[in-house]
Amino acid sequence: MAMSFEWPWQYRFPPFFTRLQPNVDTRQKQLAAWCSLVLSFCRLHKQSSMTVMEAQESPLFNNVKLQRKLPVESIQIVLEELRKKGNLEWLDKSKSSFLIMWRRPEEWGKLIYQWVSRSGQNNSVFTLYELTNGEDTEDEEFHGLDEATLLRALQVLQQEHKAEIITVSDGRGVKFF
Amino acid sequence: MLGVGDFYYELGVQIIEVCLALKHRNGGLITLEELHQQVLKGRGKFAQDVSQDDLIRAIKKLKALGTGFGIIPVGGTYLIQSVPAELNMDHTVVLQLAEKNGYVTVSEIKTSLKWETERARQVLEHLLKEGLAWLDLQAPGEAHYWLPALFTDLYSQEITAEEAREALP
Repeated sequence: MAMSFEWPWQYRFPPFFTRLQPNVDTRQKQLAAWCSLVLSFCRLHKQSSMTVMEAQESPLFNNVKLQRKLPVESIQIVLEELRKKGNLEWLDKSKSSFLIMWRRPEEWGKLIYQWVSRSGQNNSVFTLYELTNGEDTEDEEFHGLDEATLLRALQVLQQEHKAEIITVSDGRGVKFF
Repeated sequence: MLGVGDFYYELGVQIIEVCLALKHRNGGLITLEELHQQVLKGRGKFAQDVSQDDLIRAIKKLKALGTGFGIIPVGGTYLIQSVPAELNMDHTVVLQLAEKNGYVTVSEIKTSLKWETERARQVLEHLLKEGLAWLDLQAPGEAHYWLPALFTDLYSQEITAEEAREALP
């Protein structure tokens, strides 16, 4: 699924990279724009996890041409905001690396379950690999999804009693109801 | 007098829609150029042509209705104000100074206008407070105050679907 990516106008606007703006309304717009940009950037680059150090130096937060970079304290605030929205999960206690999900696990879960139902495969068992890399799912949005995000999506479905994560011969799989 | 079906009445409605849609980007301040571009885009190719003079005339009518519209002359063109932000002569003259580069600094104000630091700071604080300016702390030397309304990169950027929704009643 091709996706066009263009840096938003804010990316070329120098103040965008200053720590969060003093005006409350402006700050909200700035934060929202950053959250949106992080998700589209990671989606485009198929990046599902990152370290904070990587993020600091990535073109995402460091616009070399403009000679502006978002300070690490502000990056932390943006990441925290994404966590609150359900798009980010810290992978370690010291908050040095994180999982980034441009679609929340609930949203992925819904898409996957819709496909299962549509193709009449309730009560079928799949390996995780089959789900994300099998021929059958080639046209689906979740094709190619990284395992960490997939697991979280399935965990949501499990809580909703729509699926059960099981162990299969060489790893993990899932049964749908 | 405005009458329904009046060319300027309809143009006024279009102007309001563009300003509403872009308000969250520029805080309610837009150059006549950008407004013109966006209005022309919205009219499509079979619509009657509209000049910048037409826009000014329509805006003057909107002003007369007490809608909060304002026309601020800057560097040979105009900034159109669509939200009733309190802008006095001091603010206006700083806007005119900012028009050249899209930003302004305390030093620039002091040098060009011969003001005291405090007077310059107050105007800039006010522009920040009204959401018309953003603060840039990574500029060389001193803080730069940038106005999205004057940020030419923003011109002719498509109005997004979300922004268009803002314009609907």
